[in-house]
Amino acid sequence: MRRCKPLLGTFVEITINDPYSLHQLESASRAVDAAFAAIALIQHLMGFHQEDSELSRINQTAHLHPINLHPWTAQVLVAAQEVHQHSNGAFNCGVGHRLVAAGLLPQHPGVRAHQFGGIEDLRFLEPNRVFSTRPVCLDLGGIAKGFAVDQAVQVLKNNGIKSGMVNAGGDLKVFGKHSQVIYLRDPRQPNHLTEIGELKEGAIATSSLYFAKRDHYRPSFIINPFASPTNNPYIEFSESYSVVAPDCLYADALTKVLILSAGKTPSCFSHFSAQAIALST
Amino acid sequence: MNWKPNSLALFGVAALATPIAAYAKIYVSVEQAQQLLLPNHVLTKSPLLITRDLQEKLRLASSIRHPFQGDRIWKAQDGSWFIVDEVVGKHEMIHYAVALSPSGTILGIEILEYVESYGYEVAEETWRRQFIGKSANSPIKLNQDIQNIGGATLSCKHLTDGVKRVATLYELALKNQAPKSP
Repeated sequence: MRRCKPLLGTFVEITINDPYSLHQLESASRAVDAAFAAIALIQHLMGFHQEDSELSRINQTAHLHPINLHPWTAQVLVAAQEVHQHSNGAFNCGVGHRLVAAGLLPQHPGVRAHQFGGIEDLRFLEPNRVFSTRPVCLDLGGIAKGFAVDQAVQVLKNNGIKSGMVNAGGDLKVFGKHSQVIYLRDPRQPNHLTEIGELKEGAIATSSLYFAKRDHYRPSFIINPFASPTNNPYIEFSESYSVVAPDCLYADALTKVLILSAGKTPSCFSHFSAQAIALST
Repeated sequence: MNWKPNSLALFGVAALATPIAAYAKIYVSVEQAQQLLLPNHVLTKSPLLITRDLQEKLRLASSIRHPFQGDRIWKAQDGSWFIVDEVVGKHEMIHYAVALSPSGTILGIEILEYVESYGYEVAEETWRRQFIGKSANSPIKLNQDIQNIGGATLSCKHLTDGVKRVATLYELALKNQAPKSP
């Protein structure tokens, strides 16, 4: 069974490899529905576009008073802080205002004209209660997609699915006993594919600009968090950077760290059991 | 985790890349999508003649030029709707189904098939026609083994425009067909 829905601004595809008879089809279908529902919830909680998402509430008021979070939002923020710390700041979700300035994300009332802090300014009072020492404009676009893939896989497993794959527009996770041959798009011509290896019980995420540049002429959505407020923070590149890791959340976040190191495997990759793949042009 | 890299790909050699002239993924058939989006409903085909005026309004609301076909509309007894449409982009063609509640709320979207190509073929009516009407049970064999494609995230903006078109169709043409209360 393979199904696909538009979520997270891309096409999310769920594949189940389990053999099933006709009467099991319905329960497999329900498992896939539940997995899609989990992704929709993550979009609702962590979307930058939605003004009423938990992320938007953090951006509007976390510096004024503490905010109670859904455990999943808290989990993603904690992971974002972990990657931020281990990458010495190369991964930072506090770049939302840069993407707004470039017209890549919408401007919301109540989030403007500040000197913004970063993910490091968040403090957890309780596991699901957070405040910020400075105003922030976080965008979880560089990590939440990976988390959504992981959660969807977890929901499938909880519903008795043994083997399958979740692919959110190119960031994917494979689970169960089947290994999967993985193809990557050639950054020079995205309709050309390279077989890059075989993956079992793991995830791969990719960052590249070939689709972004094909469809519009806007600055890159990859931001250099070290750029000073007056410097151009948009990193333009033509390569394709992929990260293989046990979980898609870390694979997704670490692609940005790999871009900043221009493809040289960053030292924190061993901490995350991650491997880098760069396709040059 | 078990990762066996292709030894040549390790060197970042994109030169090994093989072109895919076009590939198609068929997810579910129209009947399956009806079951998934509106389970336990009896659907009746309810085709609609799309006047030139309506076609133009749909185009303006969605910025999709490809004409809407009014013969893929179904109605449930409670007044819910099931509509099949496609978006034809420069690089891809997507068949999809939308279920609407009697009041026009989107209940769900399901992709029926996704065809990716190197652009110009997609625009060819004859080339496209070969995919139409194929079901998940009779998938076309076209690079069928290539399924697990990683890479930069593909935007679903065109599809969002398509869903906007279906919502507009409801507002302009289907809403007034809602069952009248006795």
